[in-house]
Amino acid sequence: MVTHTQSIGTSTTCPTVVAILVVAIGLLSAQNSGPKRIISIVPAVTQILFAIGAESRLVGIGSFDRLPDGDDRAAELVRVGGLLDPDMERIFTLRPDLVVLYQSHVDQRQQLERAGIPVLVYEHAGLVDITETIRDLGVRTGRTVQAESIAAQMDTGLAAIRAKVDGRPRPRTLLVFSREPMALRNIYASGGIGFLHDMLDTAGGENVFAEVRSENIAQVSSEAILAAAPDVIIEIRFDEYLRKSVIDDERDVWRQLSALPAVRNGRIHFVTGHRFVVPGPGVIEATEELARMLHPEVFATPQTRPAPGVG
Amino acid sequence: MTEGNPVGTVTALGVGNLRWRLLTTYTVFGGTALAVCLLAPLVGPTPISLRQVFDGSIPFTDNVDAQIFFIARLPRALAGALVGGALAAAGVVLQALLRNPLATPFTLGVSAGASLGAMVVIIFGVPLTVLGVPAVTLASLAGALAAVVIVYSLARLRRQGLSTNVLLLAGVTLNSLFSAVIMFIQYLADFSQNFQAIRWLMGNLDVSGYEPIVWALPLLAVAVAGFAWLPRSLNLLTLGSEHAASRGVNVLRTQRLAFFSASLATGAAVSLGGPIGFIGIIVPHIVRLIVGADHRVVLPASAFLGAAFLVICDVGARTLMAPVELPVGVITAMLGGPFFLWLLIRSR
Amino acid sequence: MLRADTVSFRYDTAEVLHGISLGLSNAGLTGVLGPNGSGKTTLLRLMGGLQTPSTGRITLDDRDLSTYPRGMLARRMATVPQETYLAFDYSVLEVVLMGRYPHLATFAIESQTDLGYAADALAATGTLDLAARSFTTLSGGEKQRVVIASALAQLYTADETEPGSQVLLLDEPTASLDLAYQLEIASLIRKLNAMGIAILISTHDLTLAASVCRDLVLLRDGRVLATGPTQDVLTESMVRSLYGVDAVVTRHPTTDHVLVIPVDRADEQTQ
Repeated sequence: MVTHTQSIGTSTTCPTVVAILVVAIGLLSAQNSGPKRIISIVPAVTQILFAIGAESRLVGIGSFDRLPDGDDRAAELVRVGGLLDPDMERIFTLRPDLVVLYQSHVDQRQQLERAGIPVLVYEHAGLVDITETIRDLGVRTGRTVQAESIAAQMDTGLAAIRAKVDGRPRPRTLLVFSREPMALRNIYASGGIGFLHDMLDTAGGENVFAEVRSENIAQVSSEAILAAAPDVIIEIRFDEYLRKSVIDDERDVWRQLSALPAVRNGRIHFVTGHRFVVPGPGVIEATEELARMLHPEVFATPQTRPAPGVG
Repeated sequence: MTEGNPVGTVTALGVGNLRWRLLTTYTVFGGTALAVCLLAPLVGPTPISLRQVFDGSIPFTDNVDAQIFFIARLPRALAGALVGGALAAAGVVLQALLRNPLATPFTLGVSAGASLGAMVVIIFGVPLTVLGVPAVTLASLAGALAAVVIVYSLARLRRQGLSTNVLLLAGVTLNSLFSAVIMFIQYLADFSQNFQAIRWLMGNLDVSGYEPIVWALPLLAVAVAGFAWLPRSLNLLTLGSEHAASRGVNVLRTQRLAFFSASLATGAAVSLGGPIGFIGIIVPHIVRLIVGADHRVVLPASAFLGAAFLVICDVGARTLMAPVELPVGVITAMLGGPFFLWLLIRSR
Repeated sequence: MLRADTVSFRYDTAEVLHGISLGLSNAGLTGVLGPNGSGKTTLLRLMGGLQTPSTGRITLDDRDLSTYPRGMLARRMATVPQETYLAFDYSVLEVVLMGRYPHLATFAIESQTDLGYAADALAATGTLDLAARSFTTLSGGEKQRVVIASALAQLYTADETEPGSQVLLLDEPTASLDLAYQLEIASLIRKLNAMGIAILISTHDLTLAASVCRDLVLLRDGRVLATGPTQDVLTESMVRSLYGVDAVVTRHPTTDHVLVIPVDRADEQTQ
């Protein structure tokens, strides 16, 4: 923004200043339009809002939402429940002008619609939908510039990974979302759709259960795993940090299926952290980590660049 | 009124021929259970060749067919047989003890205790294994034991003898209490832990190994020893404890034995496969419809049929939507619901 | 043969029976008569060995009941409780065969002999043709007779080493039965007694007590009011003390047994 003009002549200065003022005001009001009291119980949306700098418009977030470290807004934001138990009373008390819910919250959506409160319905989908969501939220909150920047970064980042692994043999990979502790039971693996599958695909791995297209996460039997014979097993853990002894113990559990190539070759990996579970800006880092496990020869040193917008 | 030959009349009715009925029971029901257990590992979404399974020349780590047979399918069939048999037998015994055909192995709170134990480990994350037995299983057993102790102590509080009414009330109360605690714990847990906790409650027989079966066997063997002793006494017990006592039955001993063996069998079964419902009530009902009410026949027949039933349900669970697996408890429920409806309509 | 000596019994803190003494002779037919709440059922349970007295002792052939092994006692004494409710669908024959429990080892199966006894018991109670029927489908009277048959089967024995006649204890055998069935049961009781079985009945039914029992024990509020032969004990003043009812005590015109005809509630003063 221009603060001082060389004296060119008063005849050109005045309209220029006015034009600049008009544009500035326009930008400002664009920034100020849109919902100002957002409640989001979807961790991915919460993360994205922070990443694009729209956190000042948040008044309430989900109980399971993790905020970037050191963010002092954490204390001010009210927690209103999560997927299983949104606290509608609390939500109404906060007088939101936009509430972000899951597809499954049918009753809650009806309640809000009756009260005349706009609702944004979120559904977990593929990687490409993340950038779409980022851009969409940018538009709604007047943070289009920041949103575009992050979305573009994601696109290029993912493209870069794809390029690096292009042409290389793709290891058959079992991506485990959840299982019973210390046992190979109730194993949930990534199916052939959803952002986990997309991440794996981008990272140069072949999902052994790619044929399951009915759900993102599906329970699979040990027979299915044996028949699939994965070369690599990657287990996702929700905890931010796991002790090495725990990882070792849990890794040893796979010895029950000792004939799996992944077990024989010792290619069982554990990944921790929210970025694997929340389809937000953190997926770039997550995808890179996956790619490093699948193609160690290409990714020589671990990148420590943080994902955009996430601390 | 026939005065002539009373014995002849009675024998002619054929109802007293117990020896024959027992033999037929073991042959038919036992044979069915055995056949199902032998055939189940052959059935599944992945086609395998039996010849290749038993081909010793191929190293095991390269023999996918053998791996599927011996690691994935056979342990499941064995676990299914043990769990199904245990739950069905426990159902029979508890129905006799409580003199109520609607009693289930879960009525007296054992399953709720086992579930609570498992929940605590899953949600508070105790990642350890003791002697090859995962913490979830151990905690589950501990929970079952705690429930048994509590319920039994309550029922013995006041009078000499074991009040089956108090037993029932204590069990129902414990069920509610433990369910409330489980809900509270789930509230404290994060998403992934809740996920696994809820999933555990639907039952799963995919043991992929023989260790869980090996530790369950001694527990079940003890329960079976108890069961073996019970049938005749149970018959009399169902007439009422006064009747039974007058006939010379040691009522307290019978009730105790029934309670503890059924609880042990249920606790072991739930720790092994999770709380799989409906077996403990469908199977005894079906068996009674076929063979009558004499527990000497009903108890072994139910155990065999329960084993076969659960193994078949499990084959369905792992095959119907392969490679996706359905919770076996869902399959038993889908069969159990309509069954009850039918029972209700029939009994009007 | 079966005696109670100064027996008392208490449930928790309430003493239900006080200082009861009575005796049942071999082949005797004694009734314990009293209004509801007098402690009859409890007394019968004690006499049958189903519960132990708080004080005093009960003996069979001069031997304390508690010293008898459970099975041996069951082979000598059978109790028929007031109600039978089956949780499951047993056949009549199965119910009667259950009476053979004290004669069989744990894993033994009923033999032809057992079957024979069951058949005899059914025949004696006139229920042989019901053998294959389901117990739950029977009428009240039929059920009662089948349960008595089961108790009978329990008492049948060919074992010479356990001598002594048997005892059948019946708790309110005619309660809730129609008149015809009441008469049936009454005649069955007489018949069984004629076979040599000692019978102890507890009842509040004056007619049954008067027409069937040779001896009576009058029980009120847990205490024995009087004991002795029926015609000596059942007097008008006794009836008044026991039931608070004025009655006429006379003899049945046809059968000549004691007949009590109630007239009116007794006045407070005359009690």
